[in-house]
Amino acid sequence: MENKQSSSPASFVDSTVVPGDVVLDLSSMTNQTIKLGGGLRQDCDAISAVKAGTLRFSKPNKYWIESSQKRYVPCVEDTILGIVVDSKADNFLIDIKGPAMGFLPVLAFEGGTRRNIPKFEKLVESLHNSILFSMRLIGLYHLEVGTLLYLRVVKANFGMNPELSCTDASGKAAEFGPLKDGYMFETSTGLSRKLLSSPTCPVLEALGKKLSFEIAVGLNGRVWVNAASPDTIVVVANAIMNSESLSGAQQIIMELKRPPNGSERFGHRQLR
Amino acid sequence: MEGRLANSWRLTVNDKNFIKTALLSEIRIDGRKPFEYRKISIKFGREDGSSEVQLGQTRVMGMVTAQLVQPYRDRPKEGILSIFTEFSPMADPSFEPGRPGELAVELGRIIDRGLRESRAVDTESLCILAGKFVWAIRIDLHILDNGGNLVDAANIAALAALLTFRRPECSLGGEDGQEVIVHPPEIREPLPLTVHHLPIAISFGFFSNESILVIDPTHNEEAVMGGRMTTTVNANGDICAIQKSGGEGVPQRVIMQCLQLATSKAASITKQIKDAVEVFNTERALRKIKRHPTSTGVDVREKQN
Repeated sequence: MENKQSSSPASFVDSTVVPGDVVLDLSSMTNQTIKLGGGLRQDCDAISAVKAGTLRFSKPNKYWIESSQKRYVPCVEDTILGIVVDSKADNFLIDIKGPAMGFLPVLAFEGGTRRNIPKFEKLVESLHNSILFSMRLIGLYHLEVGTLLYLRVVKANFGMNPELSCTDASGKAAEFGPLKDGYMFETSTGLSRKLLSSPTCPVLEALGKKLSFEIAVGLNGRVWVNAASPDTIVVVANAIMNSESLSGAQQIIMELKRPPNGSERFGHRQLR
Repeated sequence: MEGRLANSWRLTVNDKNFIKTALLSEIRIDGRKPFEYRKISIKFGREDGSSEVQLGQTRVMGMVTAQLVQPYRDRPKEGILSIFTEFSPMADPSFEPGRPGELAVELGRIIDRGLRESRAVDTESLCILAGKFVWAIRIDLHILDNGGNLVDAANIAALAALLTFRRPECSLGGEDGQEVIVHPPEIREPLPLTVHHLPIAISFGFFSNESILVIDPTHNEEAVMGGRMTTTVNANGDICAIQKSGGEGVPQRVIMQCLQLATSKAASITKQIKDAVEVFNTERALRKIKRHPTSTGVDVREKQN
């Protein structure tokens, strides 16, 4: 502890810290403004960690601790996967695995105006297709409870429900919106961040060489996978879930060991 | 209202459809075959009569305790066996603290029926003095994590805890021979319970289309499936209990198929429980032998301090 305090603060960036570690000493950083993110606390001149994780620094002055957990703490500009839970007059309520429901304003779609609000109720089947088609033309969707959406966090203020959007910053639909078919599973926030990191995560790289699939990773620890056959989806989903605690090399070995097809789809045998 | 919505766990439309379509080609989301059981791991606490069972993601802790009580009037020579369940909101946010939910009651009843009505535990040997003192065995089942199929996991936890439980030895003494003396474990080795056979609960899930049948459904599958049935059988193939609550109807042919599957699974699970108990008992015996040299070592150190 003693020698940690005396070392220069920069040395803590990108290293693992545990609660109680003093990561920054403000007395040596006068005339600077710094911004603290999640997991850091100020005690007079000392900035200490309150959760275990990796200390990150972003220029010019932001510090935060990145950790792996099951619950998601919303952060502006994160891309996440949400589930529609309910719809109100102005908002859809979206489950984002966070402490509060996310609000998705009904106008937060590309081309969203008061006249073209996405419908939430189940429509009569005969009408359904034609209406869906016309909504598609103007970029709107048909959302029912349980729909999986790829979203962007727009506002994440303390004590308020986070605000979400189905458009990018310029108002285009981009990749956002409902995800069709496929399978969604939950991981830790740490794993989902690893999957999105560049260079590509080893498990995805190894899987991608053998199989073709579509994947959407939300920073809130949700991953959606789609492929032509259910077999591929199951293989990809389980490979990703099992890779959580493996190193890069181990992930590649796991993938190489996997038989190409047949009943023993995974390295381990389940009890019969 | 919003708080309740935030606490309820939900499945997306995509997942529901995927689970159903994948099952049509006999694929389950965790890579199992329809009639494949998840991996079971059984651990024991340091104390006698405590177990922790992990079945895939599901975790259940079992704890057995005993108390001397007065027997029921109508059964003066029989000990008492009771089961209590504890569904913590930590296991699943949909479990409410305080009052037991429908699932908690059902789970307790299924296990209770399997153990008691098949007379798996010999209650007559729990009698000390007829009409005055019998042992009341209490099984506490704590659900630690809900990954689906809680009934089977809780049943295994209850059996494992019962098999490793030991009650203190008692003898009658005093002037009139009516006084109960409970011997502390240091003086007389505590006695294990008499368990005649192991009733193993095996759960099945039914899916509406094409009458698809799966064994040991996971949490996600439970949310999609149309009905469930729990059969309690032992390794000899005796049927101890069947629970089919609500959901869709099942033809007789399917029930017979389930029973056949359950019997073969019960044999392998029985063996697994017995092996785990064996390992625990050996460790326990070794711990006893070691006790003397280590205890003197500790004494010396305490004096130095």
